[in-house]
Amino acid sequence: MSDRIKEGVIKVVCETLKVDEADVTLESRFVDDLGADSLKSLELVAGFEEEFDIEMEEEAALSVKTVGDAVTFISKVVKEQHG
Amino acid sequence: MDLIQKYKDIVRGRGLRVVYPEGNDERLIRAAAECVRENLARPTLLGKPDEIAQKAREAGVALNGVQVLDPGASDKVTGYAELYVKGRDDMSVKVAARLVRKPFAFGAMMLKAGDADLFVGGATVPTAIVIQAASLCAGFEPGISTPSSFFLMDCPQAGPGGAKQMLYADCAINISPNARELAEIAVCTARTAKSLLGREPKTALLSFSTHGSASHADAEKVIEATKLAREMAPGFVFDGELQLDSAISPKVAAKKCPDSPIAGQADVFIFPDLDAGNIAYKLTQYFGGAKAIGPILQGFAKPASDLSRGASVEDVVSATAILGVMAGKGT
Repeated sequence: MSDRIKEGVIKVVCETLKVDEADVTLESRFVDDLGADSLKSLELVAGFEEEFDIEMEEEAALSVKTVGDAVTFISKVVKEQHG
Repeated sequence: MDLIQKYKDIVRGRGLRVVYPEGNDERLIRAAAECVRENLARPTLLGKPDEIAQKAREAGVALNGVQVLDPGASDKVTGYAELYVKGRDDMSVKVAARLVRKPFAFGAMMLKAGDADLFVGGATVPTAIVIQAASLCAGFEPGISTPSSFFLMDCPQAGPGGAKQMLYADCAINISPNARELAEIAVCTARTAKSLLGREPKTALLSFSTHGSASHADAEKVIEATKLAREMAPGFVFDGELQLDSAISPKVAAKKCPDSPIAGQADVFIFPDLDAGNIAYKLTQYFGGAKAIGPILQGFAKPASDLSRGASVEDVVSATAILGVMAGKGT
């Protein structure tokens, strides 16, 4: 799990959900801990796509529950799409 | 006459533009061709043109009159992204462009931008995806912030109050609506009923209590929702809290609630929660022999609805006709 992806994910999470970086950990759950409603998840996905220049599949992205899940999921997509 | 046939006749020739975001699904391709053949709507299929053309060839379907649009390559993306972030300073156009080039969001932005009148999708994804895209991109109808769903119940015979075709809500989406949400569901469903039933609806907010016969927080919620619904839409008839028999039987109503403006003639039923709504529509369907059409989503600025994953071509065409009739609804 690269630090660059972790930092990028946290940056997008803070910007999109308007939360403080200090409140975000890999264990943070988007809905229960960070106050993301289901609508915000579409904007989060768009933010991640722009940050890492990737394409994420909507339905698969919906299964991501925590910040750590997002880092793992995005690491995999980045590897697939950028080698 | 069959209700769906009636709706097809209403929308035929009106030139309504429908977008199907799942353009490379064979069912949607066939439905689009059917809409053109029957002159029900002008369809747009979203997806890669070569893939859609290939699928259409394999299915033996001609795409004459069907617009095929690839959201990823569309020159509309920047305009839609700008429209999406309008009035917001917390999102860049570049991020918004990532969002609106996804087919469901793109289709919903077509509604918002006035490039489409109806949105029918969800044959390959969970309902949540359709609700997300329509809520975020198309927005809600005036005064509404809760998307909901209804069933159109077509019964073999009229009930004691005369209703044969009725709307039930919410039977599929909102699990435990509060008073405000329940009021919104009531208002939306009354508006929908006006267009689909073609008459002034009588909307009953149902409970286990009639006009204070029982005292409980759950009945209070329905009383409050009735008050809010009347404030939100004073042109419609709402009454609650009512037991089902007080809502549908003039005889019972005369006894239990003689001052009810519905007088036992309700044709729109608003259930206090999803348990009640979901159970009621299945009871009506299985014991009453009613045809249950739905669930259809409502509450968006323009008609947008979900399909079940098992939807047939005919289901897609029927949903398109129903949404087409809803597009003409007044507020």
